[in-house]
Amino acid sequence: MGVRRSFRKLKTMKKNIFFLLLFFFTISFNFAQERFATKSGIINFEASVPSFEEVKATHNSVSAILKSNGDFASLALVRGFRFKVALMEEHFNESYVESSKYPKATFSGKIKDFNSSELSGVQKDYILLGTVSMHGKEKKIETTVNLKEIDNIIYLTTSFTLRPEDFNIEIPSIVSNKIAEEINISTYFELRTNF
Amino acid sequence: MKNIAFFFLLFPLFVFSQDDLLDELNEEIIEDKKVISVFKSLKVVNFETTKLVNKKDFYLVISHRFGSVKNGIDDLFGLDQAVTQFKFIYGINEWLNLGLARSSYKKKYGLHAKFRLKYQEKNNFPLSIVGYSLITANTALKDNVYPNINFENRLSYTTQLLISRKINDNLSLLLAPSFVHENLATRSFAEENGSTVFYDEENNQIALGFGGRYKLSKRISLNIDYGLHLNRNENSVYNNPLSIGADIETGGHVFQLHFTNAQAMFEEGFITQAQGDWLNGDFFFGFNLVRVF
Repeated sequence: MGVRRSFRKLKTMKKNIFFLLLFFFTISFNFAQERFATKSGIINFEASVPSFEEVKATHNSVSAILKSNGDFASLALVRGFRFKVALMEEHFNESYVESSKYPKATFSGKIKDFNSSELSGVQKDYILLGTVSMHGKEKKIETTVNLKEIDNIIYLTTSFTLRPEDFNIEIPSIVSNKIAEEINISTYFELRTNF
Repeated sequence: MKNIAFFFLLFPLFVFSQDDLLDELNEEIIEDKKVISVFKSLKVVNFETTKLVNKKDFYLVISHRFGSVKNGIDDLFGLDQAVTQFKFIYGINEWLNLGLARSSYKKKYGLHAKFRLKYQEKNNFPLSIVGYSLITANTALKDNVYPNINFENRLSYTTQLLISRKINDNLSLLLAPSFVHENLATRSFAEENGSTVFYDEENNQIALGFGGRYKLSKRISLNIDYGLHLNRNENSVYNNPLSIGADIETGGHVFQLHFTNAQAMFEEGFITQAQGDWLNGDFFFGFNLVRVF
């Protein structure tokens, strides 16, 4: 009896150990994903129309994370966009993107067929798919990203266009000829493992 | 039972899965709590707001107050008689503005400093507080009329504390305790028993300014301001300034159109010498036009 009982005990212990191992494995599997991130990414946007006043802004404290499986996310506080003319920046925040109501602009998506071990000092193009979210609206986009890796830093650049109307951002008719219908967005990130 | 346990053990896989990258980014953000666009213009109508010109920005403000509307078509509701003020303002830094202006009303020159003391902050400090200091020189006083006049007699000083609060996205309010010192006090003339008598104000005068803006639409707001003079001479011919107008945003600048019972545009002018009377249909049309360089 005693032998049998202890054998059974051993069996359940084995099972527990198996589960425990599985548990650690799944955790370590997740942590094994390498992460590259930044808090000082750059987004430029340009909505100028030739021969009218420049409508252009830069944000240089955009945060972003890239995982080695290609998952990519980025976040910018809308208030951080800097215009040359402060009054334009104020109009942008108050009347266009309404940053007090919608303080964030985000992107979340995936770089297709991404493999971080493939990266080198030579630029390589990938397809980036994901969702841009701002002003309470979402928009799926697909664009090309440029990636290269030098000294364990991944350099990611991309550019795409967005339409204000897709985000329910109304351009009043009085300025509609001074603001482009398609806004060019370009981004630049230096993603590091130790951030 | 076993299956459930198994499921829980796989839990980390789901917890750390992809979409939570955004949550991670969310945790790290530091939001700028300053409340912006409390007022979009430097003035409500006559009273200064808590808005400052940004660092290194250069503003040119051209203001007009026309003649009284009461004469009707004869002088096209006062449009024939414009009082003009040109003002240049420069943002020295984030919290200090200096300005130089010239108004055709009594040929006054003015020099002002406007400085931010406090920002209204979200879930934190409830008010914007700005200081404003102005010195004006009246160059319309002629030496041959006032042979003993010294340069000091031409000077007036205004000091104001501008306190505002953005109540919500549409409504902002302003309180402006004001102190005016006139070296040559404002004089009111009156006819008594066939002869002209005059009453002078005190050299030191105090007033409370009230102002507000209410956004009617994204780009148009209704603005009202009023100055309650607290020690005006009871025989004074002047009234408290009351103005009502609209801010119209047109991309690069803000247009202000209004009706007011004060023709003077410098603070000490409209606080002490608002000559119009709303109740008699005696008020002025005017505008402020702001251009940013």
